[in-house]
Amino acid sequence: MGDVILKVSGLKKNYGKVEALKGIDFEVKKGEIFALIGPNGAGKTTTLRIVATLLTPTDGKVEFMGYDLKKNPDKIREGITYLPEEAGAYKNLTGLDYLKFMASFYAESPRDVDIYIERAMSIIGFKDRLKDKVGTYSKGMIRKLLLARALMTKPKLAILDEPTSGLDVINSLEVREVIKEFVKEGVSVLLSSHNMLEIDFLSDRVAIIDKGRILEIGEPKALKQKYSAENLEEVFRRLVQ
Amino acid sequence: MRKFLNLLKKEIKELITLQLVISLLFTVTLFYFIGSIVQSEVKKIEEKRGIYVLNLDDSQESKILLDGLSHAGFEVNILDEENKDKAIEYAKNSDINLLIVIPEGFGQAASEFQFKDIEAYSFIRSFSMGGSVNAAVVDQVISQINEIISNNFLKANFPDLNPEDIKNPIQSKGFVVVKDVVAEGSASEVSSIVYSQSIFIPVILMMVIVFSSQMVLSAMAMEKQDKTLETLLTVPVSRKQIAIAKMVASGLVGLLSAVIYMLGFRYYMNGLMGDITTSNQLNDLIQRLGLQYTSADYALLGISIFFAILCALGLTIILGVMVENLKSAQTMILPLTFLVMLPYFISMFSDINSLSLPIRVLVMLIPFSHPFIASQNILLRNYDVVFYGIAYMLVVFVILIFICGRIFSTDKVLTMKLRFGKKNLLDR
Repeated sequence: MGDVILKVSGLKKNYGKVEALKGIDFEVKKGEIFALIGPNGAGKTTTLRIVATLLTPTDGKVEFMGYDLKKNPDKIREGITYLPEEAGAYKNLTGLDYLKFMASFYAESPRDVDIYIERAMSIIGFKDRLKDKVGTYSKGMIRKLLLARALMTKPKLAILDEPTSGLDVINSLEVREVIKEFVKEGVSVLLSSHNMLEIDFLSDRVAIIDKGRILEIGEPKALKQKYSAENLEEVFRRLVQ
Repeated sequence: MRKFLNLLKKEIKELITLQLVISLLFTVTLFYFIGSIVQSEVKKIEEKRGIYVLNLDDSQESKILLDGLSHAGFEVNILDEENKDKAIEYAKNSDINLLIVIPEGFGQAASEFQFKDIEAYSFIRSFSMGGSVNAAVVDQVISQINEIISNNFLKANFPDLNPEDIKNPIQSKGFVVVKDVVAEGSASEVSSIVYSQSIFIPVILMMVIVFSSQMVLSAMAMEKQDKTLETLLTVPVSRKQIAIAKMVASGLVGLLSAVIYMLGFRYYMNGLMGDITTSNQLNDLIQRLGLQYTSADYALLGISIFFAILCALGLTIILGVMVENLKSAQTMILPLTFLVMLPYFISMFSDINSLSLPIRVLVMLIPFSHPFIASQNILLRNYDVVFYGIAYMLVVFVILIFICGRIFSTDKVLTMKLRFGKKNLLDR
């Protein structure tokens, strides 16, 4: 792990009178898995959506690979992929057509598309159904298709919101392994989850967020030691009490 | 360009669903089916000029009368029943729709110019198109009988004169004036044929605009309902290209749907009105008056329609941002449909220039009014109005695209919603 690829400072977001983010700061380094953990409504998804260029911050600064989010959102989109918590795929396209469609935005040549599809197939695990329409897929299959879409291009930063949402235990374990594999190949990951055991297993560093503020940042092991806790859930409970 | 084409391909694939194809085929088949039924009914009506006559008089005058009806194109069937009641009873039990009873002594009375009433019995067996036509046949028969009797009387008393000259001593000569061209002919015939030949233009216009708009709204609604929009907005492609791809795809699929619907509608209209054919004389008159679209006119009308579609798509994509799912998209299409229907009905049943000033201004402010206005003004060579309309639609389109670009480049594309039951547009 080395250079900082994402720097978030003083980030605020208001929805009308509601302050969703009250000024948060964190950094993601190259090749690390950085996780935001916290309860529902803490501001995790809002943070991820801002970094993914979907929402405009009310105040603060987001820099990705030296590009300012407000000034160069198009440049940022070239280096990131985003997997929303509640995402879907186009029902009338086949799984393969969907992957090809998404790959075409990142590929510089048809050869690149083939490489991306090959990579996606290794993640998905249901190659025989790729020529079926997405509308016929189960929720778990769609989630794996979307995860494959987010990782197949080997982005500089993969933003994953609840990556194992809707998956059973076996599939969740597989997904976690896939994420770890891609990180070894140089992909950085910014993810959110309220499954603290998952975060404990996956992440290099975590930020505990509650009511729009970051309460603590650190490596899971260090945080557990600092708060004399057995797991991250206990750390979180002590921090908010 | 490659990215745009990919987006366009995806949009078209998403819009042309099995449901759409089935719905199109079903509607065309239904129109064709109704058209065929109506056409066969019309044919039956045209053939249905057969009348049944009970002649209780049997005089020379009544025979002349029956010959006259035959010559006038009626198929005269004589009944042999003894009296009126039996003839009515017979007609009731048979498939007879019209029974004419010539009373006893009719000939004698006619020779003294003291006429006895002829009784006409119409048997209503249904309230269909065919049933209603029988009433018209009765009038035709009675009118023909009067014609025959009065002509015979006039011939008998004024053998040197033509009965027609006595009944209609003054004939009129009609002229039609369009702009600077004056030509001899009937204004009502010209109006009716131009109307019937251009009736499809407003219908096509309305269908294309409504279909395309519906497609854009559905495309936006599906993106939101299926939760694919967020992902699409984070890929490295310009937001404007995303919006334009949706508009172009919807325009193309809307146009295709409208053409297919129109084919079905044409079958239906042909069934209702019959194939529109005109005499050479009338065609010549219309040509002399310049009431025909030239190739340049069609191109001009096409440009006007194209800009109206662009305005509709621009407006709909802005509305589409506010929809949350397909259900709210259906609600959202209503105000737009109203904006298209208003000029449609006005152009079908009225003249926009004859409206009061405030209503005329209101109609002119609706961009979709201009192709409707153009379709008539091109024929009448009022090109200024047509060019003004195109320029106005271009300005409206530029404004809409500007608004659309602003919305798509901010997070309003995700957060703007229209909530019904609350006060107004809410930004979350």
